Amino acid sequence: MMRYETIIIGGGITGLATAFSLANKGAGKVVVLERNYLGSGSTFRSAGGIRASFTSKEHIALMKRSIELWGKLASELSIKYARSGYLWLSSTEKGFEKLKAYMKLHNESGVPTRIVEEDFVKQVAPHVDTSRLVGALFDPLAGKASPFDTIYKLYAAARSLGVEFRTEENVEEIITHQSVVQGVRTSNQRLEAENVVVATGAYVHELLKPLSVDPHVEPIPHYAAITEEFGRLFDPLIIDFESGAYAVQTFHGNVIMGVETPEKPYSSLEVSIKFLYKVVKEWSKWLPWLPEVNILRHWPGYYEVTPDHHPVLGPVNKYEGLYVATGFSGHGFMMGPVTGEIIANWILRGDPGIPEARNLTLERFESGKLIQELAVIG
Amino acid sequence: MGGEKHTGEVKAYICMCEKVTLEDVDKALKEGIRDLESLKRKLRIGMGPCQGRFCIPALISYVSRKLGVPPEKLAYPIVRPPLEPVPAKLFLQVKYDEI
Repeated sequence: MMRYETIIIGGGITGLATAFSLANKGAGKVVVLERNYLGSGSTFRSAGGIRASFTSKEHIALMKRSIELWGKLASELSIKYARSGYLWLSSTEKGFEKLKAYMKLHNESGVPTRIVEEDFVKQVAPHVDTSRLVGALFDPLAGKASPFDTIYKLYAAARSLGVEFRTEENVEEIITHQSVVQGVRTSNQRLEAENVVVATGAYVHELLKPLSVDPHVEPIPHYAAITEEFGRLFDPLIIDFESGAYAVQTFHGNVIMGVETPEKPYSSLEVSIKFLYKVVKEWSKWLPWLPEVNILRHWPGYYEVTPDHHPVLGPVNKYEGLYVATGFSGHGFMMGPVTGEIIANWILRGDPGIPEARNLTLERFESGKLIQELAVIG
Repeated sequence: MGGEKHTGEVKAYICMCEKVTLEDVDKALKEGIRDLESLKRKLRIGMGPCQGRFCIPALISYVSRKLGVPPEKLAYPIVRPPLEPVPAKLFLQVKYDEI
């Protein structure tokens, strides 16, 4: 029987970044198990936005570190990543006042967002129509990365460091004995390990429920659409503050757009023409050329949402050797690098490295210490 | 093209929209990327304006021969709607009372 130091379940950014972190620290034999193909759960459905402009100290501390790590990944693995900013656009006085209030909160926490003038908007976003602009907020630390490029480069790097990958292999059960993790049973075989990391995103209940562990996660459908490709339209990820809709131009030149639509938790992933209507309507206000351009693809994906919109990250006290990383509530891609580092630290040294991450373990739901976060987008 | 000097380099393209060559496919297969969903996303085959109409059948046939797997065993990548590129304004005609 195969024996590993660590089995990682889930081949998305969370699993791959954890594998890469562990392998970098020389943490023994590691295997990543993915039941479908790498990135297929949520990572490849993500728009790829990255920011630290949150309002809780946990999100800010984690994302500041994650942004440092994104920079490192870009230079070491040449992952397509740009610190091209986030730009919030408001067309109302009330919205502008709120943006100023956010800026104050960010600045007090050391996140350097700033109010910018129309000229600046025109410089960084030449193809955004500013005629209805009342106020704009810019986050220079924020940026974007390509989910495809990130996954395939993390995969190649982890693989060259000795990490084993098994795709199209489903984990059917996490095996425990007297509250100690023993390994997993897959569709093909039994694998033994000291540590098991559950990084299965929106599908985390499937493996934790049989262990009577509640991750407090609800999958909620969100949607995205992508246009054909163009030359430079706008560098930052842009957000319509009034509707929460976002748009980002990919490295390839296409525009990915999203907007919140009311959805019930656990609804299945289906196409939504209501979404397409709403997202085109909202963005046509800022991008007057949008109605004339082609939509290439549209797809659904889950946000796995926790009651306080913060991830569940770290050891599960009930079982020795069991770790969980899920509940990112729409921020799993941007948090990938720091998540990998935190889980590797928990496994190797019994502490997360970043003190704020101690507040993010599953135990917070039992102790009632939920975290407050005000800024959740699209 | 227009009097340009031929460099002698010949490339076999499998995806014209995204300019993916057979060499790119070979390289990805060597890296262990072997299913069509992953090849599509790694190389962008079928992600351009043709949306896979021309290149995916060619890719299936090529990968089938390369890996020695019958083509019917290679799952066709999921087709994302709309089936072909459509102007965004089309969706503005959708009318709902509560959105």
